[in-house]
Amino acid sequence: MISARGLTKSYGATRAVDDLSFDVRPGVVTGFLGPNGSGKSTTMRMVMGLDLPDAGAVTLDGRRFHDLRWPLREVGALLEAKAIHPGRSAYNHLLAMAQTNSIPRTRVDEVLGVVGLDGVARRKAGKFSLGMSQRLGIASALLGDPGVLLFDEPINGLDPEGILWVRNLLKGLAGEGRTIFVSSHLMSEMALTATDLVVIGRGQLIADTTVDDFIASNTVATVLVRSPANDRLAAELRTHGAGVTSRDDGALLVTGIDAAAIGDTALAAGLPLHELSPVQASLEEVFMDLTSDMVDYHGQSPVQVGS
Amino acid sequence: MTTATVPPPVVLGAFDEGHAGLANQMRSEWTKLRSVRSTWVCLVVVFVAGIGLAALVTNIEAGRWGSLGLADRATFDPVRFSQTGTFLSQFVVGVLGALVITSEYATGSIRTTLSITSKRTTVLVAKLVVIGVVVFVVAEVTAFASFFTSQVILLAHGAKALPPGATILTQIRSTTIPYVSLADSAALRAVFLSGVYLLLLTLLACGIGFILRHTAGAIAAFVGVLLVLPLIVDVLPSSFASSFEKYLPSNLGLAMTLVTTRKTDFAGVLLPPWPATGLLAAYGAVLIVIAGLLLVRRDA
Repeated sequence: MISARGLTKSYGATRAVDDLSFDVRPGVVTGFLGPNGSGKSTTMRMVMGLDLPDAGAVTLDGRRFHDLRWPLREVGALLEAKAIHPGRSAYNHLLAMAQTNSIPRTRVDEVLGVVGLDGVARRKAGKFSLGMSQRLGIASALLGDPGVLLFDEPINGLDPEGILWVRNLLKGLAGEGRTIFVSSHLMSEMALTATDLVVIGRGQLIADTTVDDFIASNTVATVLVRSPANDRLAAELRTHGAGVTSRDDGALLVTGIDAAAIGDTALAAGLPLHELSPVQASLEEVFMDLTSDMVDYHGQSPVQVGS
Repeated sequence: MTTATVPPPVVLGAFDEGHAGLANQMRSEWTKLRSVRSTWVCLVVVFVAGIGLAALVTNIEAGRWGSLGLADRATFDPVRFSQTGTFLSQFVVGVLGALVITSEYATGSIRTTLSITSKRTTVLVAKLVVIGVVVFVVAEVTAFASFFTSQVILLAHGAKALPPGATILTQIRSTTIPYVSLADSAALRAVFLSGVYLLLLTLLACGIGFILRHTAGAIAAFVGVLLVLPLIVDVLPSSFASSFEKYLPSNLGLAMTLVTTRKTDFAGVLLPPWPATGLLAAYGAVLIVIAGLLLVRRDA
């Protein structure tokens, strides 16, 4: 269980995290979503005791990080995969970590096996690809067999096989009753992995909910309708209080009434229907909608230069 | 690779008892120190430069005794020739002391280090103890090995110990090269403090590294204190400079390693050996306390 209460952190004039409160419960994967620069990493650093909050506090199973007796055995984290001395071997990197918390050497070999790096354990970590570094970072999070795990963008640099592996690993760890907190800016990935969601934008909480509720409560139910008598059907639906818009390909997007009511209306008016399908918004669309005004760094379309 | 899903169940022992402490952190710091090549390169340079320069300089100086002027004869110090390598080694151990911490900031691994320990000062103390012990052992071995190397060369040139109660005049008039053994307490102290000097500089550099958190910055500051500061003091009005140049770290090092049986040479210009040692240690202590306060307060 991770509990944040009123977390606030500024760097100079920039307020990175602003009065943030949320709970991450054990047993499920909780996704931590936000655009780049929204304060996800800052929040995770505060959970791990690396940055001190200006106000508020965050606790791990009721205790602050600096009160933990064996930190590595209670909370594991992958924060920056490449933050490793390039001249040190993966094995020695993990061994040095294990020794700080009286974790036996055999456990180092064990986690190297779990992440599939046992064959390259004696190689210098500086020669690792980003994907291998991510696996080493995951190994270091697992090292102390902790009940709380944090992963900051764990699938960066992984191939599709690795992504699938991480997804299963996270779900498996949660299934054992651990608290799993995973940040990502990839909504589609979170939709597949996470059960709960904490969504932030510009350091402020946007939502603390489940993935299903988040989609349901932030989308207007829309039904896609096709009919050879589009205009007449649209007029008929509007008299029943529906909102109707036309798409370029001739389909109608109907809001305000459900698919059954649309079918009944068409039948009553004697109009044929060729398609009637509810449209499910993706987590990605909901997220983009919700945070569009909170994104700090917008890309720009290339400017056309007239000749 | 894909078949692995959940790590196997493990028994790591009870962790309700005790807490991660200094002994744990020291084991970890030793693993980190021994597992990068720069450590071994630095230590080998200290040892090889120590013995090599001792042999080279002693050989040159011993061969010149017959043609030396009065002033050179007066300041002839058979122990100091053996410790010539210290001039180079002080920068090597400074780099080593700074790298112990600045390499962690450079690579970002400091955030791993601090996110697996709940008391940050434990990291500071563990690093100082581990690098301190390693450098001290290597520096003392080097200091004594250099001394014996030097001694063999002096004897080969026909050096003889001065009679008891010898003064500067005795030394100047001597027809043979003056020679001291470790039975001479001043010589023993000088050789021993030569290693202590390198130890204290290592800790000082480590403190600077913790404060500046940047390899190039820390090394520049360290070299500045040892090399540039004396040059600045040198161009100040001499009446003004002479009152505090004895407190410069480089001059404290000189005071620590000088055989002062002929104390008139440097009386007033340098501190006596033990007070010099204490003052250099105090400089280090101040930096380390500042480093500790900053480490606890700053974001990693």
